[in-house]
Amino acid sequence: MQSRFDSARKRFIAFVLLGWILLLISDRVGELRNYQGAFVAMYSLAIACLILLTGYSGQLSLGQGALMAVGGYSAALTATKLSWHPVVALIMAVLVAGLFGLIIGFAVARLSGPYLSGTTLALAIALPSLANTFPSLGAEEGIIFDVGKAPTRFGEAFSQYKWFFWISALAALISIWLIANLLASKFGRNWKAIRDNQTAAALSGLNPGRLKVTAFAISSAFSGLAGALLVMLISAVSPSAFPLSLSFLILTGAVVTGVYNLRGVVFGALVLVVIPEIADAVVTSLGGSERLTSTLPGFLVSLLLILAVLFTPNGPGHLIHFRKKNTKK
Amino acid sequence: MKLFDTFLTGLSTGSIYSLMSIALVLVWRSTRVINFAQAGQAVLSTYVGYEIIVRTNSFWFGLIAAMIAGAAIGALIDFFFMRALFKRVKSGPIVLVAPVVATLGLLGIIQAITGFIWGLDNKSITPPVTTGGFTIGDRTLPFGPLNLLIVVAVTVSLLILAIIFQRTNIGLSLRASAFSPEISKLSGIKVDAIRTFGWALSGAAGGLAGILFVSNSALNPNAMDVLLVFGFVSAVIGGLDSLIGAVAGGFVLGMAINFAVAYIDTQMIFPTTFLILILVLLLKPSGLFSRSKGRRD
Amino acid sequence: MIRTRNLKRLVIASMGVGSLVGALVAPAQAADPGVTATTIKLGISSPTTGSAGRVYGKLPGAMKAYFDYINANGGVNGRKITLVHRDDKYLPTLAATQTTNLILKDQVFALVGALGTATHSKAYTAAALAAKNVPDLFVNTGYSGFANKTKYPTTFTILPSYAMEAKVMAKYIKDNLAGQPFALFAQADEFGKDGIAGFTAAKTPPANTQLYPTSSVTSDVAKTYLTAISATPLKLVILFGTTDVTATVLKAAEDLNLVGKLTFMAGSVGGDANTLLALGVKPTTIDGLVAASFFPDAKDTTDAYVSQFMEINTKYNPGVTFDNVVLQGMNSAMLTVQALRAAGKDLTRAGLISAIESKGATFASAGLVPLNFSSTSRIGYNGYWFGKLNAKGELKPATGTTPVVYTTDSGAGDVVKSDYKRLPLPAKGIPTNS
Repeated sequence: MQSRFDSARKRFIAFVLLGWILLLISDRVGELRNYQGAFVAMYSLAIACLILLTGYSGQLSLGQGALMAVGGYSAALTATKLSWHPVVALIMAVLVAGLFGLIIGFAVARLSGPYLSGTTLALAIALPSLANTFPSLGAEEGIIFDVGKAPTRFGEAFSQYKWFFWISALAALISIWLIANLLASKFGRNWKAIRDNQTAAALSGLNPGRLKVTAFAISSAFSGLAGALLVMLISAVSPSAFPLSLSFLILTGAVVTGVYNLRGVVFGALVLVVIPEIADAVVTSLGGSERLTSTLPGFLVSLLLILAVLFTPNGPGHLIHFRKKNTKK
Repeated sequence: MKLFDTFLTGLSTGSIYSLMSIALVLVWRSTRVINFAQAGQAVLSTYVGYEIIVRTNSFWFGLIAAMIAGAAIGALIDFFFMRALFKRVKSGPIVLVAPVVATLGLLGIIQAITGFIWGLDNKSITPPVTTGGFTIGDRTLPFGPLNLLIVVAVTVSLLILAIIFQRTNIGLSLRASAFSPEISKLSGIKVDAIRTFGWALSGAAGGLAGILFVSNSALNPNAMDVLLVFGFVSAVIGGLDSLIGAVAGGFVLGMAINFAVAYIDTQMIFPTTFLILILVLLLKPSGLFSRSKGRRD
Repeated sequence: MIRTRNLKRLVIASMGVGSLVGALVAPAQAADPGVTATTIKLGISSPTTGSAGRVYGKLPGAMKAYFDYINANGGVNGRKITLVHRDDKYLPTLAATQTTNLILKDQVFALVGALGTATHSKAYTAAALAAKNVPDLFVNTGYSGFANKTKYPTTFTILPSYAMEAKVMAKYIKDNLAGQPFALFAQADEFGKDGIAGFTAAKTPPANTQLYPTSSVTSDVAKTYLTAISATPLKLVILFGTTDVTATVLKAAEDLNLVGKLTFMAGSVGGDANTLLALGVKPTTIDGLVAASFFPDAKDTTDAYVSQFMEINTKYNPGVTFDNVVLQGMNSAMLTVQALRAAGKDLTRAGLISAIESKGATFASAGLVPLNFSSTSRIGYNGYWFGKLNAKGELKPATGTTPVVYTTDSGAGDVVKSDYKRLPLPAKGIPTNS
């Protein structure tokens, strides 16, 4: 008991420290880096949700984008149509997406591998396009989600992007801290048990069905928050903000992180933001034909993805640990 | 009349979905991987077919070329890529994710390459027979020689596959290694080679689906993306393991979509797809044609 | 132990990254960014890959080609124009980040020719264009929402709104097709919905409306749709979508032997003849297709603007076929050059915006309909003319020999015939206005 309490306290201190460092960094960098940082935080949370779902409870979802869309729409509707406070809107995103995940979870969480991914894939395609059917959902111009400017006491120089970063980073830190605690708790162990051997877990008195539905709902709730953050960052919600490629992007991030553990999520998210930048830079420096310019970024991202799967299937973090063990000898 | 017309369009939609569905099921059976790269493989093979058609002016040479190219691409991907992947990724939850992500990455690479070589604009393939519908009296049916050709192609490929699977040693090995790779290996079956063969078959089916689909629409690097999703849903509806199920799933989905368009609204295309999928999974979780009860854990 | 050590490393690393990045950020400038004594930097975020890239991918290239041509002829007030393009794949999230990149990283002076409603509406707020007063010129969308000056204070759109298009169509049907009832087949987004609003405003709502999600129309879906329509008494079908969908529907009509039996009308976005022919629609099917346009036909080499742009395209954009999109890109680039000239030698963002407000309506442009920029109106072209395509894919006036131009607004205003004569092409296509 003592040691678990210790690690929980250590974790808490680590998160507070990380938050403090991020705060310091945000003061030193420009608007663009703050904006990109906000995206990194948002992606980190989305990836953490997928890791919870896939790495721990063993359910591969290709439809995280749909869950994010639910959160995004909930937040925008709450803030704009009901004119409630943005913080309430973010909380609503968590609640509505969680409820949605619970309902969908009952239908799909007991499905095994390919069927689950197929269903979530179809969900990712069907759900956002449905939003165009209802005029109240704002079609393509969408519904605005404006968190407003930073409080005046932060000073004149406090930019909108820094405010975005603060909100995004704080929301992500708190959520990921909650997820990390959850994964370290009895829940996490039970999820791992049903993931590794469902029959054995069931024999020892666990209820795999209920555990999987719970995982689905929790993952969905926080994905909803990530979706709300995404909508905040692009100022409004619309169906095309949640394409299938978003779900694939999150999955890519999870693979680069290593689906086993949460520790590298920031790295995974960083890759999602940095790689297109690098591809852009390479294209610009190469010059090249119009065709090369339009196809090279996609090529580089895909190549990296494949290399990551082939050479560090459990994430680069895993690779470092492995090396460390070797050098210690 | 509307009922009959819708049935006919459903039939031709369904047959294209079936081919894609077959391509996915073949890989699933041999490798237990959902091959998202199939959309890319099919597009690449279709471009090869397109080049042959442009050079020889013969659709049929193009069709054969597309199937051969499809088979070759499929075999190469398995031989050089999937084998390495399975060698490296053996345990843990990553096993669940890695193949999916890897095939998604392959899809991106293939699409970038085709985009670089052929450009992003549309190319069109002139079909060998008229796309116009058969006429009865003064009515033109929404079903013509090209649709008939596609249905025949699906039927023939299904027959050929059935013969391969039921009547040949290779087919027996294919089934055995899909069912239990460990035991197959022990009984002397070259599981790896058999698996590559499965990929080749699948690639050929994808190439066929590609060239037939494109002859009725247009060819570009993203031409098969939507088809892949529908093919995949068809495969799941039919039970991922069953070839007959794949075909049936394709027709069920094709019919459902066209009836939804005709009787409800065009906007119902994606919601209908999702609804059917959910209904099948909830009510008949083993798939419409799957014998085993592998759907739920 | 490992964890704390990692933590320490993380702290050090992140501090390092933080200070490094901090050092890289340039100090704030007093003058508007993107302008020096010899250069003007402009930016565009538009799709060049993905499905929308197939339709609009040529846009930035065409604009660059025209700017290169101007640069080779002395530039604007001695300044050479560079255009930074960023691909947004027609995705809102990418449009928001890419446009922010254009503003914060590339430090462009103004944006030109951004494309799309879903994308640019997000990008506008995300990149804080209003707060930074960044001119947002000649946005390629017909969505009427961008005309809202309080929401988009720096935006000028170029295309007539989709609602205008629908209203002019309704007028055309009333005048030339005996006001017959019609079916509308439209994309299920703001594009189609603006169209429905326009028809409703013209008091001729479609007798049958089908909205379809993008990328869902296969030949079988089109056949099912047309079969259903042919069972109704309706004889006129309006296609309010992109050209590839028009092609799919027309090919389905060929297959169903309905080409002579139904009359098809395509909107300005969906009636590009080159694309239709390239997608395998038969010339005989295209012959007689009614299409709306505000430009001269891109194949009409007798048109002064078109032939000049073609010449520039051959020299500065080699290997790219001249079509409506290239025409549109060059035209927007030409308007941009005039706007920059009108803003004078002391180029500021505010000056550029007020120059377009005060002089924008007098800029020379290839359009056959008037430009409507003023201090109250932010929509460029405000009307259409109707033509029929012939078998060669040339758009000829539907009646008579010269195009009949109709103008209107996006609201309840009337549709009126206009006798607007556009300004002659500046010598060699190089503006000399001030």
